[in-house]
Amino acid sequence: MRARTRGTLSVPAAALGVLLAASACSAPGDSSSDDAGSSGPIKIAVVDAQSGQLASLGDWEAKGAKLAVKEWNKKGGINGRKIKLTVFDDQGDPTTGTNIARKLDSGNYVAMIGTAESAVTVAMAPILKQAEIPNITSGQATALVDVKSPFLFLNGPTSTTYDSTLADYLVATKKFKKIAMISNNGSYGKGEHDAFTAALKKAGITPVTDQVVTTDQKDFSASLSRIRQSKPDAIFLGSEEVEAGLIVKQARDLGITAPFAGAAPQGTPVFIETAGAKNAENTIVSSPYLSNEISDASRAFATAYKAEYGKDAELHGAKAYDGTNIMLTALKNSGMATGKKLADEIRATKYQGLLGDFAYDETGVGIFKTTIGIIKDGKLSAAQ
Amino acid sequence: MQVTLQTLVGGLSLGAIYALIAVGFSVVYRTMGLVNFAHADVAMIGAYACSTFYLTSHVPFAAAIVISIVVTGIIGLIIERVLRPLENKDFDLMLIGTIGFGTVLQAAATLIWGTTGRAMPSPITSGPLEIMGIRIRTYDLMVIAITAVSVVLLTLFLQRTKPGAAMQAVAMDHEAATAVGIHVGRSNALAFAIGAGIAALAGSLAGPMLYVDATLGGALGVKGFAAAMLGGFGSIPGAVVGGLAIGVLDSYAGDHFQGYSVLVTFLVFTAAIMIRPTGIFGERTVSRA
Repeated sequence: MRARTRGTLSVPAAALGVLLAASACSAPGDSSSDDAGSSGPIKIAVVDAQSGQLASLGDWEAKGAKLAVKEWNKKGGINGRKIKLTVFDDQGDPTTGTNIARKLDSGNYVAMIGTAESAVTVAMAPILKQAEIPNITSGQATALVDVKSPFLFLNGPTSTTYDSTLADYLVATKKFKKIAMISNNGSYGKGEHDAFTAALKKAGITPVTDQVVTTDQKDFSASLSRIRQSKPDAIFLGSEEVEAGLIVKQARDLGITAPFAGAAPQGTPVFIETAGAKNAENTIVSSPYLSNEISDASRAFATAYKAEYGKDAELHGAKAYDGTNIMLTALKNSGMATGKKLADEIRATKYQGLLGDFAYDETGVGIFKTTIGIIKDGKLSAAQ
Repeated sequence: MQVTLQTLVGGLSLGAIYALIAVGFSVVYRTMGLVNFAHADVAMIGAYACSTFYLTSHVPFAAAIVISIVVTGIIGLIIERVLRPLENKDFDLMLIGTIGFGTVLQAAATLIWGTTGRAMPSPITSGPLEIMGIRIRTYDLMVIAITAVSVVLLTLFLQRTKPGAAMQAVAMDHEAATAVGIHVGRSNALAFAIGAGIAALAGSLAGPMLYVDATLGGALGVKGFAAAMLGGFGSIPGAVVGGLAIGVLDSYAGDHFQGYSVLVTFLVFTAAIMIRPTGIFGERTVSRA
């Protein structure tokens, strides 16, 4: 049978290729134009998952970046040149990411916004460093800092900042002694697990139980039963939005009433919706962007965001909005510099953003503070 | 002991979903000898369709499931119709075709429903039952009951009705079946539609337990496929036993091996398949090509 089909196999293979191309891949940036320097639109790339499991993260980030660029273009762009934003779909996959990184190099992109996934950003970093393309990521893993690329910047705090603030609140403010942990073994969960464990250790606390789940696990009965037996005062949650939501939902069904505590994902609507608002009640969240009502700037951003997309703004959109604004400010201040000069300009840029006052250090981190929020009536608001 | 039993309960409820997915795989396989790789993505479409009618149009949950079964049943018919010219001619092409359909369905879901998925609240509001410290969600009980009923109905259909018997006959010998006047194409179409309908049922039921997005098929498909293999591909009781076994195995692996549970689940699965390549209820394999 094999011999018979060999001749025709190229046809289905080609057909499949067409199908894949039509469905999965986004349009690549046109690589012919040679306009990085002087004229034509300024080419900036947004690289994020637009399909796959992390698509919602990527969608939020792309929305924030697009909004910032739209506002700049409305005001006439930079030095009379429009900014052209192209969105690339990395599918949350590091390999796809590195391919895109090469594409950015050959396509003469000046800068890159993204990705929301630390693992993908880390994978892309060496190529972007070699190509001298500055990159502002939404990732927060400490691994990003360990890369030591002068072209890599974060648009928010690292896990260490998130989790030391959180641990401090739980131990010093709330006087919790019995803290249970559940985190996943993915790049985000592992980073959170390590950062929070270190912060707890500093506070002199050992977790009563430390459960690790996988990133695609759906049933958490075993881990949650063990957590229930340990009777914790609070449960640390190191997992992305959807999985964290499922964990909380199942925990409440098992009769666990202790509050959950976590970082950025636990402040998102997806988490609250997945868990169910009632189940997510009292979740303690460490975040640099608690709500759209914190300041005039955040209110203005949220209004513009709502007008553009018909949806409520949230942390990831705000982060990308800040990051894109920093990138564009640096481009403007440097008189459209590229490469190393642009990176140096970003490092020198002081920017008052939605997340706080950005001031980059050598490691590419510009924000070192988060605040504690609590979910009440299905909404995140500042802890009193 | 409490942890052990609670883990069992958790494993069984997801296992019921895997069992339904595996049953869908088996219905198509036993009739056509074809593994439908688009199957799990059909389940994903079913979950989306159900959530749309349930959440947006506020149709009762049961009615939303029925509508989504009809929707995917039609998708099943379309897939079969497109693949029909290849039947008994080019088997590899048919397989690749089903993979292509899966990709198309995922892309279609992203186009229609966007990149962000949706959470479905449970249609049953009553709290979990508590038996000796073990908590059992009422929704899980409902899922297990629906799975049981649909498997019984399917078995009755295959054994007691004329179209069911025709499907069995085609599975055994399609040339002889054609000779006695059975329309093989129609029989295959029916198998595809039933398989797709069961996929939608599984997807719809999984919605409130999980999260509905374009990758839901990936999460259900691998386990469902493994369940069908473990039970013996093509066997309906095998699919049920395999599904429950994979669910429970997964649950216990999660307890004892935590972050390495996926590895352990599939190592055990591989070992089981090596010891008994045809699966627990392995029948002779259907191979048409």
